Amino acid sequence: MRFLLLFVAVPVMFAQDGATEANWPYHGGTQLAWRYSALDQINKANVKKLAPMWAFQTGDYEMGLQSTPIVVDGVLYLSTSRSQVWALDAVTGRVIWQYKYPMPRATTPYGPQNRGVAVGDGKVFLGTYDDNLIAIDQKNGHEVWRVSLDDIRQCGCTITAAPLVVKDKVIVGGAGGDSAHRGYLTAVSMKTGRVAWRFYTIPGPGEKGHETWKGDSWKYGGGATWMTGSFDPALNLVYWGVGNAASDLDPTGRYSGEGEGANLYTASVVALDADSGKLKWYYQEVPKDVWDYDSAYECVLVDREVRGKMRKLLVHINKGGYAFVLDRATGEYLNAYPIVDNHTWTTGITEDGKFVGRVEPVPGKSTLICPSALGGKSWNEMAYSPRTGFTYVPALEFCSNTTVVPQEPHEGRGYFGGGGPMAPPPDGPYRSHLDAHDPVTGKRQWSYPYKYPLLASILATAGDLVFTGDPEGFFFALDARTGAKLWSFQTGSGNRGSAVTYSVNGRQFIATPSGWGSIAARGMSALWPEGETFRGGSTLMVFALPEGTR
Amino acid sequence: MKRAALLLLPVLACAQDIVTRGLDVYNKTCASAYCHVAKGASGGSAPRLAARGFDEAYMSQVVRRGIPGSAMPGFATSLSAPDLAAVIAYVGSLNGIAPAPTRAAESAPEKQLPPDAERGRELFFDSVRGFGRCATCHEVTDRGVPVAGSIGKVPATARDLRTLATPQIHTATVDGESFPALIVSHGNAQTKLYDLTSPPPVLRTFATATAKVTDGSPWRHSDVLKSYGDPDLELILAFLRAVATP
Repeated sequence: MRFLLLFVAVPVMFAQDGATEANWPYHGGTQLAWRYSALDQINKANVKKLAPMWAFQTGDYEMGLQSTPIVVDGVLYLSTSRSQVWALDAVTGRVIWQYKYPMPRATTPYGPQNRGVAVGDGKVFLGTYDDNLIAIDQKNGHEVWRVSLDDIRQCGCTITAAPLVVKDKVIVGGAGGDSAHRGYLTAVSMKTGRVAWRFYTIPGPGEKGHETWKGDSWKYGGGATWMTGSFDPALNLVYWGVGNAASDLDPTGRYSGEGEGANLYTASVVALDADSGKLKWYYQEVPKDVWDYDSAYECVLVDREVRGKMRKLLVHINKGGYAFVLDRATGEYLNAYPIVDNHTWTTGITEDGKFVGRVEPVPGKSTLICPSALGGKSWNEMAYSPRTGFTYVPALEFCSNTTVVPQEPHEGRGYFGGGGPMAPPPDGPYRSHLDAHDPVTGKRQWSYPYKYPLLASILATAGDLVFTGDPEGFFFALDARTGAKLWSFQTGSGNRGSAVTYSVNGRQFIATPSGWGSIAARGMSALWPEGETFRGGSTLMVFALPEGTR
Repeated sequence: MKRAALLLLPVLACAQDIVTRGLDVYNKTCASAYCHVAKGASGGSAPRLAARGFDEAYMSQVVRRGIPGSAMPGFATSLSAPDLAAVIAYVGSLNGIAPAPTRAAESAPEKQLPPDAERGRELFFDSVRGFGRCATCHEVTDRGVPVAGSIGKVPATARDLRTLATPQIHTATVDGESFPALIVSHGNAQTKLYDLTSPPPVLRTFATATAKVTDGSPWRHSDVLKSYGDPDLELILAFLRAVATP
């Protein structure tokens, strides 16, 4: 009887497992990018007792600490903005090794930032500011191989994203899509460092989709892959978000008006065969993007019921402030819903996913555009809990007074085509909120409001907790079902990185990067005088329940 | 007196021109994207530039070289000399510094390559060719990846370039696999080499005991030049000759 009950009690949606356990092996927890752990030693009942165990100061606080740590078998791997990697004992914080990459003199407007490493095949993989991919021996920190994937001095591009390990390869994207540059995604053999395939996000002459580009604009059309994708082993498909077209705000030089879609495959999610890198399907979220509405963010892979039928889904948020729900086997559009209160660039979306009532920026006068180019959500990642069935999404209510300034492309140089200062949203002050959504319908279950931008990723756990941090330095836990704040700790600097959880010898730990910085963070002091007092930093804070706590 | 005023007029006009040009450069280059905003005001992601008390030496340094380790890039190679002078003059005007009218004229003239060499330069760095471009393995004029040593003697013809002797390329054997290799260091404990199996080269490090290195390799320079035709290579050679240091 008891066996039978157990059997029945396991819901269908748990069939797919994107939960981490003792390790935090991938950037998004698992390759499905849930940022969710099955660990529940720390839970709603005892989280009040959560206490700091150790802190690790990296000494590298340029652009804050934006990294997601990786934890494998009791060792934590952490990268910093200037391409340093540390292997730390995950229980004590003791340094096992340090890898220091020589920082190049070259600079880009994107600044040095690094959002994490990947681990696989006995190696730790780091993308560098000057476009090298490095394999470091996981045991001793020695370099095993390094390969130059581009030249920062020519392309104006960098690698800031964490790579993703897929089968025998490590896949990494690049940043630089606001410069005159042609984006790509590169897969490299973990064993040898040899390039296995490269997918250009902008099709070349003779390839389908090339006709959507005017003249030579495809050569400098942006399409950066500046965050980390996902992988579905059953479908053997790699999913990656592709950024905006360049020049960002001015389509006159790039938009051909021919073919289906516009400036493919920018502002799109692409699904690629993991072995060959060949395009299986794409979905363009914002055709003819003129707002810098990247689709570069994480792809959360969940199996959920849609209109009475179980579907393999991909949930993805665009900078324009809309979440998209796609069938991840076919790319079929299923739904989209706003995650922000203010979206002045469109009056809404049709049932088949077309944005209507577009408000486009123009030359010569400023137009209020919401969300701003920082996005209705920044790159900090959402989480998904299979226990509550909710996604946890950080959203920003920021607008900008945008003006188009036409530019000519010069390879590797800024090619934004305009800009403008931040402006408050029409419905009130600048603010942000962390919301629990039904990932399919977008119904908001609860909302945690906040006066400054929430720019740290979200962690969800089987203890029915949701963790994140804020610019004032507080790292805190919310009740995953109600949004009530249950615990908070002052880490000493604003939170911009991504918390993870892991366990060693049966003890659960929660680690979070603390250290204010990044492009979005830089603008704070212009909006709030007290923003000047938000200090930078670069510390990993690690928490656990005191010994003997139940 | 009248004469002095007449003399002053063109100077003022010239000074105004450089600020106007600087404004245009500023709006297109600096007040864009996530960086500064119009008129050097606050409100952008990058700092306010107006009324900061900058002096000319500081502006010149930062605009040309950037601030290493920060998001401020240097524009010494990406903006022309007159554009650099103009944008410095414009930011200077936001900081109460009157433009020096002679500054633009003083700055070094842009180095112009002959048309053939310029076309060769574009081909050498042609990003459309991906890893098939020369710059995948060669650094010239501070661009490209310095896998191969600096180019000493420029071959005379495209044919010479294709059939270039490459005695420095050896054969490495690791775990039973042999591949062409450019040895970087070969010590008692550690061997560092570029794996040239397919572009881009991979800098690999092995325990010397596990990597066997033998002379000679079937690797040929012509194999990595396949994206170029002979006329392309002649233009590239013209570029290399034009920038060769005697």
